[in-house]
Amino acid sequence: MRVLLVEDDRMIGEEVEVALKDASYAVDWARDGQMALASIETQLYDVVLLDLGLPKKDGFDVLLNVRAAGHAVPVVVITARDAVEERIRGLDGGADDYVLKPFEMSELLARMRAVMRRRGGQASPVLTNGIVSLDPATREASIDGHAIRLSSREFSLLHALMIRPGAILSRTELEDRIYGWNEEVESNAVEFIIYSLRKKLGSEAIRNVRGVGWMVSKQR
Amino acid sequence: MTHSLQLKLSAWFAVLVAGIAMIAGIVAFETALHEANELQDGQLKQVAALVTHRSLPVMELAALENVPGADRESKLIVQSLSERTPLALAINLPDGIQNATVEGMSWRIFVKTLDGDTRVVVGQPTLGRDEIARNSALATTMPLVILVPVLLLVLGFVVRRMFRPLTTLARDLDTRTDNDFSELSGAALPSEIVPFVVAINRLLARVAQSVALQRRFVADAAHELRSPVTALSLQAERLAASEMSSQARDRLGSLRRGLARTRALLDQLLTLARVQDQGNAQWMDVSMQRVFRQVLEELMPLAEAKRIDLGVVSEVDALVRVPEMDLRILIRNLVDNAVRYTPAGGRIDLAVRETGERVQVQLDDTGPGIPWDERERVFDPFYRVLGSDEEGSGLGLSIVGTIAARIGATVELGDALPHGLRVSVTFAAASQR
Repeated sequence: MRVLLVEDDRMIGEEVEVALKDASYAVDWARDGQMALASIETQLYDVVLLDLGLPKKDGFDVLLNVRAAGHAVPVVVITARDAVEERIRGLDGGADDYVLKPFEMSELLARMRAVMRRRGGQASPVLTNGIVSLDPATREASIDGHAIRLSSREFSLLHALMIRPGAILSRTELEDRIYGWNEEVESNAVEFIIYSLRKKLGSEAIRNVRGVGWMVSKQR
Repeated sequence: MTHSLQLKLSAWFAVLVAGIAMIAGIVAFETALHEANELQDGQLKQVAALVTHRSLPVMELAALENVPGADRESKLIVQSLSERTPLALAINLPDGIQNATVEGMSWRIFVKTLDGDTRVVVGQPTLGRDEIARNSALATTMPLVILVPVLLLVLGFVVRRMFRPLTTLARDLDTRTDNDFSELSGAALPSEIVPFVVAINRLLARVAQSVALQRRFVADAAHELRSPVTALSLQAERLAASEMSSQARDRLGSLRRGLARTRALLDQLLTLARVQDQGNAQWMDVSMQRVFRQVLEELMPLAEAKRIDLGVVSEVDALVRVPEMDLRILIRNLVDNAVRYTPAGGRIDLAVRETGERVQVQLDDTGPGIPWDERERVFDPFYRVLGSDEEGSGLGLSIVGTIAARIGATVELGDALPHGLRVSVTFAAASQR
């Protein structure tokens, strides 16, 4: 796997380069925008890590040029510009993901893997938050490798929560997910399904947030 | 000593008008006296011309008579100088017009020699002539004297009226928010004050610029610090992957916690710089329940780590009209603070309540609360309550205060029951639909 690292800060660059090598990537390090563009023209990369604040040519311009030239290489933007508009601009400009400075290497590596997976069309359909995994294909949940069978409503509810671990869904939202348009909603159905899910997955699997709704914990 | 413009103007006007009145009075008196003199002298000469040797005795007698309907002071005297009655005059008076005083009374007399030894005197008291002059002077002065109080009243009214736009301007300037450096309008002001307003506007512009520069600097500094801090935490992270003694690993742990804290501080600094910057915030109707949910999603991991029961106790949602991002940052900082200062196993309750045109958010925790005398100061940047060993940035409530001031919300700190802090934030409700 070949990575182009575009970073003008020497300290950060060195650290990221070493960490990438430790993670078995081949790393090219460009220190300014022009060098980055030249490298992308001549070499095929699996992913580009692009800092936005660059000398000679701004990282954002590099991104636009790369996309304008028709290169489909996955780009993860590394930025200290955290204003929401900046992020949106970056993503609209053709970035696949962004990491905010200061970041942890583990996070950057995870995002790189996710971006490459998506590009490779092999996105894992299995949803997980590190505690519970849910496979939409088999409709099975698993904890510590133990498969657990779920009823169809249990699956729908857990699936809704597992799509974005950490997100809180209200009762109405959960009811919408587990009932079809013409089905009549039974009162306390959500509580009942959660009760049975907790019995199968453990009481900590689904958390109730008082007054707001339910969630599965975010991976930490 | 007051520097009242009205007082000074009034004093100057009063002195001026009084002076003019005095001069006018003197001039009028002198002129009238002169005219009256001429008239009297003419009359005396006319009468004297009528006196002959033959008419003298008759006229002497007739002049002694009282003419009905005539003033005492207009009485005419015709006598021969040598008779010394009714006027005892010196015999050697020269011919012609002159003044004479007889028995304390002032007379105007005309002496005429008829022939060798008969000399005739025609006289009249000066009282009448003086009265004419006095009256004339008074008639000229009086309107001016009456004018003084009227003038002062009008002056006071006009001055107050002219200064009203200035008073309004001062009040506007006084009630401005910290971030409002917009220009003052000199449209309604007298042209003499306009240069002053222009100068104030220039000053405002300079202050705005320097404030912007200072904020820019804070933001830039925090921004610039991000790169070295990123490098440091990456190094620490890589260090953690290598072999080391358990003692070294302990130390590394504290180092990384310190780095995490520095990162959090940088984030808060940037947030503060951003919320202080007026920006082009979009005001919209925001659902408080939605904001609660977003904030709880973000902070639930923190609360879970401390086993804090964090939740919402109100059942009805409320809409407020605010810039959404500001509201989220405000609520997040309040909840973040509560999670930090509430001991493990505690409880934090959020609630929203709509009363008429106001929406109140209430946040109760079971932490130590904030002592009475420190409740004002906790909104200052980097202020920490003494005795708390929590490693916050010291900017959370500063950010809350700044946002609240900017969006017109009020923040009150109180006591939660049975113990802990209660924060109440009052917003304007969303526009009536």
